[in-house]
Amino acid sequence: MTVKPAGYQALTLSEERTGDFETKLMRINVGPQHPSTHGVLRLVVDLDGERIARISPVIGYLHTGFEKTMEHRTYQQVVTYSNRMDYVHSFGHDLAYVLSAEQLMGARVPERAQRIRVILTELNRISSHLVFFGTGILDMGALTLFFYTMREREQLLDIFESVTGVRMNFGYFRVGGLYQDVPESFEHDVRAFIASFPKMLDQYSALFAKNDIFVNRTTGVGVIPIERALEDGLTGPSLRASGVSLDFRKAQPYSGYEDYDFDVPVSTAGDANARFAVRFQEMRESLKIVEQALDRLEPGPVRDPDRRISLPPRNELETSMEAVIFHFKLVTEGFHPPRGSAYVPTESARGELGYYLVSDGGSMPYRVKVRVPSLMNLQSLESACVGGLFADMVVNIATMDPVMGDVDK
Amino acid sequence: MGLKDLFEKDVQELERDGILFSTLGKLVAWGRSNSLWPATFGLACCAIEMMQSTNARNDMARLGSEVFRASPRQADVMIVAGRCSKKMAPVMRRVFDQMPDPKWVISMGACASSGGMFNNYAIVQNVDSVVPVDVFVPGCPPRPEALIYAVLQLQKKVRGEVFDQDGVELPMVEGWTR
Amino acid sequence: MTTETAAAPLGPLTERVVESLVGLGGRLEREPFEVRVVLPARAIVDAVRTAREAGFDLLSDVFGIDWLRYPGHQGPRFSVGYNLYSIGHGERLFLRVDVDDDEPVPSITGVWKAATFVEREVYDMFGLRFSGHPDLRKIHTPEDLEGHPLRKDFPLGETPTLFNDGRFLDPAAFRAGMIGASGGLTGWVGGARKGVVAEQVDPAPATPCAGATSADEGER
Repeated sequence: MTVKPAGYQALTLSEERTGDFETKLMRINVGPQHPSTHGVLRLVVDLDGERIARISPVIGYLHTGFEKTMEHRTYQQVVTYSNRMDYVHSFGHDLAYVLSAEQLMGARVPERAQRIRVILTELNRISSHLVFFGTGILDMGALTLFFYTMREREQLLDIFESVTGVRMNFGYFRVGGLYQDVPESFEHDVRAFIASFPKMLDQYSALFAKNDIFVNRTTGVGVIPIERALEDGLTGPSLRASGVSLDFRKAQPYSGYEDYDFDVPVSTAGDANARFAVRFQEMRESLKIVEQALDRLEPGPVRDPDRRISLPPRNELETSMEAVIFHFKLVTEGFHPPRGSAYVPTESARGELGYYLVSDGGSMPYRVKVRVPSLMNLQSLESACVGGLFADMVVNIATMDPVMGDVDK
Repeated sequence: MGLKDLFEKDVQELERDGILFSTLGKLVAWGRSNSLWPATFGLACCAIEMMQSTNARNDMARLGSEVFRASPRQADVMIVAGRCSKKMAPVMRRVFDQMPDPKWVISMGACASSGGMFNNYAIVQNVDSVVPVDVFVPGCPPRPEALIYAVLQLQKKVRGEVFDQDGVELPMVEGWTR
Repeated sequence: MTTETAAAPLGPLTERVVESLVGLGGRLEREPFEVRVVLPARAIVDAVRTAREAGFDLLSDVFGIDWLRYPGHQGPRFSVGYNLYSIGHGERLFLRVDVDDDEPVPSITGVWKAATFVEREVYDMFGLRFSGHPDLRKIHTPEDLEGHPLRKDFPLGETPTLFNDGRFLDPAAFRAGMIGASGGLTGWVGGARKGVVAEQVDPAPATPCAGATSADEGER
């Protein structure tokens, strides 16, 4: 299974190396089963000694046919699929999908539902970054931090479980609101997490951010200048590490992000260390958002009362024939958005994420196109790796933070 | 106690002294069952829960299964964690073939076991058609506890302590005959 | 959530760019939530270059749409959409090219390297060729998969759910019943539901595609 990049030809080597002996590039295959490629990423790397001359990602090993399957499901059923695409930041995908579908439907989401969505998405962003730190540093050979970050992630998963019933792959958001209200213990649990987590962040910081080995391993590695980043279509924390302050929570606020006071951490270094640092700062900012949203969380409904979108309340089913009919139609057929298309960009833990939905007036989306951040970000791997050491490739993959489900769809 | 006592005393007396008898096959199987090393083979969502099962709370190390080997040549168990696409299937078979005998397979999650919610053109509907599966774990994704339970079941199977529906003891898994 | 049904507003940058795109033969379409310029295929490279030089500095996406089953659609079967964003101005612009099956689309990889993967994706999923693309190979599907999955005539490829006594549930027919596109909820009516197989869909289609296609058609 050799895959030759088109236009493949041996590099012209510099003068002093073309003496009497013949040298040529060495081609190494990495993956798809490899512990450091974060899933089933395959890379075909051409090496000039220890330096990378060419790198070409081969993807599709986790191609699941999401878009095709979503086109055969009703709008409400799609929520079950969207979160399985990026299984590390599931709420982000759910949110992106329901926002697009709500734009098509013209749904009005109650304020409480929006606040809960923001809290959960931001907590999920933290848990996603925790996986990033644990596995990222694991790739560099340090096992310890993995156990620390996973410990805090368990605490978050407990909160998610109390709210949604599952630890991952939630499917909790609905078009028009939420599946149900959060349990009573929710506020207490989240406040406990907010109280304890900054101390943990200091611990991580002491463990690696000032560690000489870590600093030497990441500083100046995989530098992506701004121009290259924009040329490659990089978004998200990796782009912000290259000096572009693009965060769709600020640029095109959705779900009431404009109400919250938070900063967008930006670094200009563009190297692996900056990508670590930006995500590290982001966890603190997410915590700020969670705290503000929790303070403003007022009791109220969590679903759009519009009968075209939301199921009627359970008690009405016993008295009202009309409610039964609406219930039956919604459960079997689903709702019918008007013709048109919608795209709402959101900021996932990895970058710009949006669902481009085309409706033909039927109860299933005519076309679902997911703008996944990881796929575009993966193109920057070339800018980051070429010319660098082979060993640094692992650091670069880790700091790009691709989730293969997000790449392959 | 000398070797002479071993032949003169009867079994009960020896057991009181802390000496147990077994066949070599059973002894080997017992040793194997407590050091099932999985191959690092994460595909999708379940791989994250597979990672969680080794963390401080769930601690799969208690069962001797925490050493995830990056090379299939050092692994005993392949945990197929996640949906297996048709593009991945040949690769997965190759990784399985690279594992030394005896070897076992745990199919983790609904997608690996039955295609799950992805009943479409891209996903292998049951990884049993690619690699021989010993234990199926339901769930989407299964909790770490479920995976640990699966490892316990596999240990039983390796030790030859599993029974069929009629209560007849099944033979030990002769991994090397595969 | 915005609920206005009026057309999306044109930002100052978009207005400028749209003007020059119309000069290239483009047609402005304003929908409630998106500003879109439909261009002839030959002009797309120039159009993207113009937009980029004017200030749209992020190529978000390139995607395809197959209009085969879209009710009342006229014109070429496929569309290729380009999703551009301006970081400085916070404006978004969609470009679109309508093409038929065997019509090549000029590749914009020369203008924007970011299009490499996404154009490959459109090629893989819809079979649209991009002329001038440096590396036009399949990206997601296996090498030996024939066809292009996101075309509307490509079946979803579902396996029927099997029950005892040879009964089965065809997912496509089941879904068609659910959304009201066909009569029965399960595709099984009367006695056949109790296990008597009679005048039903072929339980074992010769190729998985054949059976599913017919059901898919009924659904749309």
